Amino acid sequence: MLKQLVRLLRRNQKSKDVAKSRLQLILVQDRIGIDEQLMQALQTDMTALLSRYFELEQDGIEMEMQREGQSMALVANIPVSSLKIRRPLQA
Amino acid sequence: MGKVIVVTSGKGGVGKSTSTANLGTALALLNQRVVVVDADIGLRNLDVIMGLESRVVYTSMDVIEGTCDLDKALVKDRRTKDLHLLAASQKNNKNDIQPEQMKKICLELKEEYDYVLVDSPAGIEQGFRNAAAGADVAIIVTTPEVASVRDADRIIGLLMNMEIDDMGLIINRLAPKMVESGDMMNPDDIIDILSINFIGVVPEDKEIVISTNRGLPTTYNHQSSAGQAYRRIARRIDGEDIPIPEFKPGSWLGNLFKFNSFK
Ligand SMILES: Nc1ncnc2c1ncn2[C@@H]1O[C@H](COP(=O)(O)OP(=O)(O)OP(=O)(O)O)[C@@H](O)[C@H]1O
Ligand SMILES: [Mg+2]
Repeated sequence: MLKQLVRLLRRNQKSKDVAKSRLQLILVQDRIGIDEQLMQALQTDMTALLSRYFELEQDGIEMEMQREGQSMALVANIPVSSLKIRRPLQA
Repeated sequence: MGKVIVVTSGKGGVGKSTSTANLGTALALLNQRVVVVDADIGLRNLDVIMGLESRVVYTSMDVIEGTCDLDKALVKDRRTKDLHLLAASQKNNKNDIQPEQMKKICLELKEEYDYVLVDSPAGIEQGFRNAAAGADVAIIVTTPEVASVRDADRIIGLLMNMEIDDMGLIINRLAPKMVESGDMMNPDDIIDILSINFIGVVPEDKEIVISTNRGLPTTYNHQSSAGQAYRRIARRIDGEDIPIPEFKPGSWLGNLFKFNSFK
């Protein structure tokens, strides 16, 4: 829904503005060197950590870098089915 | 002691050789002693753009191999005095030269000349490293396109690693009409993204093709907008504090920028 809206707005945007925002996104990724492998590793680590506290719906996990205005954000969508209460945490 | 300037881009075909030939010519027309060095070993172009191909006898490879003195390998320009070309070998490839060897040539040349302009090959590999090895300053050429600006950013990072911090950006092939209609990034957009010292815009101009056909750099053509742009950029490189012109009244350029880094 939101994605469709963004796409719709983009269509009316001037192509140079689209170019600029794509570039900004690409360069942040290039500069930090964030590639697919790294994102995958991050997702694995994050879900492992969160699994200690929550029951997660593994299939619904989405994680990506998004540009928000002038900065980048790591946006994660991690569906939680329940809280793991009173489970002793290992150090 | 002169300055060694590497002209580079990352992406191919954005106008490095065209810029080297034109800026070299324009600097020589400002009464500077200039050598342009073709560092695109195996794919030499600069001789053709300058119209000097029939005069090339020796190349930088002969100098490195010791078959010829550096002085003797330089080709004198047909029209402009104190303008010389050091050609690249066409039968070798980029890995046949080491950065140290290229650096030695550049150091020797800048003893005698005010400006040594090195035309880098595309890419980020050894050919680029050779070209940049002896450089004091880098000119990065980009077109107003996503892929080209992205590669420029990569090159800027590599140059910084090589401690070549004095850099200037040329935006080539700008089409003012497209900028006006919002279909091409304008210089402000690009500078905003790359945050680097900006030294000029060269418009898209068919005179570039015509002059390359004739082997006479566009700089000689006072009617050509690209030629005018190169002459202005050369003056800026040479330390003159002149503003980058606007392409149309009320447009985005203005005199916002100051260009002091090349002094
Ligand atoms: N401002 C311009 N207007 C029109 N055509 C141009 C302009 N600048 C360059 N060109 C054309 O673009 C082509 C590529 O230019 P050039 O050979 O200078 O690029 P390059 O970066 O040296 O390429 P390579 O990476 O292959 O060495 C040439 O055909 C040239 O005539
Ligand atoms: Mg070239």
